[in-house]
Amino acid sequence: MDRPASPADIASPALYLDGIPHEGFADIRETEGLVWHSYGPAGDEHADGGFWAVTRHADVREVSRCPELFSSAIGHTNLWDLEADALEARRSLIDSDAPDHTRLRRVVSRAFTPKNTRAWEGMARDIAAELIEDFVSAGGGDWVEQVAAPLPIRVILAILGVPLEDADHLVELTNHLVEGTGDGSSLPDDAYGNTTPTRLLPFNSPASHALFEYAEKMRLLRLAEPGDDLVTALLEAEADGERLSASEYRNFFQLLVFAGNETTRTAMIHGAMAFAEHPDQWAALRDDPTLIAGAVDEVIRWATPILHMRRTATADTELAGTPIAEGDKVVMWYAGANRDPEVFADPFRFDITRTDNPHFAFGGGGPHFCLGAFLARMEIQVLFEEMASRGVVLESRTPPVRLASNFVHGVGSLDLAVAADGGA
Amino acid sequence: MSDPVRLIVDVDRCIGIGQCELLEPEVFELGDEDAISRVAAGATLDRVRALAVVEACPSMAISIEA
Repeated sequence: MDRPASPADIASPALYLDGIPHEGFADIRETEGLVWHSYGPAGDEHADGGFWAVTRHADVREVSRCPELFSSAIGHTNLWDLEADALEARRSLIDSDAPDHTRLRRVVSRAFTPKNTRAWEGMARDIAAELIEDFVSAGGGDWVEQVAAPLPIRVILAILGVPLEDADHLVELTNHLVEGTGDGSSLPDDAYGNTTPTRLLPFNSPASHALFEYAEKMRLLRLAEPGDDLVTALLEAEADGERLSASEYRNFFQLLVFAGNETTRTAMIHGAMAFAEHPDQWAALRDDPTLIAGAVDEVIRWATPILHMRRTATADTELAGTPIAEGDKVVMWYAGANRDPEVFADPFRFDITRTDNPHFAFGGGGPHFCLGAFLARMEIQVLFEEMASRGVVLESRTPPVRLASNFVHGVGSLDLAVAADGGA
Repeated sequence: MSDPVRLIVDVDRCIGIGQCELLEPEVFELGDEDAISRVAAGATLDRVRALAVVEACPSMAISIEA
């Protein structure tokens, strides 16, 4: 089959060192139908690693909302395929279809309802206030290390019931997981005492082994001594009369520590950067705190912390007028959809007063919609509220150090100053 | 409120994402025990808002009562 080739490269991780390749996304969005993007081991002419690049808002929505046609359970939800045993060993909520997904999702949805999220707000606000005050006292510094990384990890650890003294260890582990989405891990395969072949581990990373060991430690602790926390709830939860299996539990623990941390951190980084670069928007929020809800969604659209998710076609079908064959990889690029001018007026303007902001930073709908959406929104809200109420004004000093990842819109460090009148 | 309509949640499709409660907290609430969305007794919405919440449900579990 003759497949129309992509007019631009949007998959090479190194591109992302300069930020999202928005021009490439625009070229693909503007090409009629879908385009086939090559992907695979360099120099391997037999590599069949290509994918359909889905970059328009309407098309991402369609793929996302048709899980029967576009499976999460086949191949992998990242660009590269996994061998069957690896896929099975690594399977979590993200890599599942109904009915397994439905069963697992219902177990964990109970923990992340709007009501539960509200109950965590005071705790999150206290942590945010402390981190902001320290950042202001220091006159600024690395926003990632001092605010954006510790806030979500402390919140998710409090929710899980994990001791605070382990926070730094878990931040380190999740940082290593992100490397696994880029050009490879900086860790040797046997790091943290790992003996499992890394291809069987989430993110191909020995850090996953360490997270699994930590999950097991928490499991034993909470079995002996149940607490009012999410680990206890997960261990006690029953779905259709069954408890979570050992593998389901540890993959889910791993997912929560990663997803409940890395993505929210990324939104807080891009949000701070956006407010530093658009002082009129920050002034508007300080003047009118009721703008916060819209500001949070605009920060999340602007950040698009997860750049894509992949599905695999379960049957021959058609999307945007382009035929898709059973087994083809279909990749939803939220990074493209969230700047689609068909949906967002002036999409490259950071505008906290947008009234219609149907961004896909939590996914394009369908059953895999972000489990932590309320939690993420709440954390981002309390952070910027606590900053605004203190009159803190951030200023850029040097360009951010971005990560070479086509999966997370990651920033390794971001040097920000607190303006002279800030924090007064 | 012109043209008020009632809403129905398909409990087999609902997986407790909670967009309905976010948009229309007077009408929808997720159950504490099962996180399945429930419609408050007698609750109605005008058709425009009802269509918006139907559209917003990621698991396509909400419909308008015929």
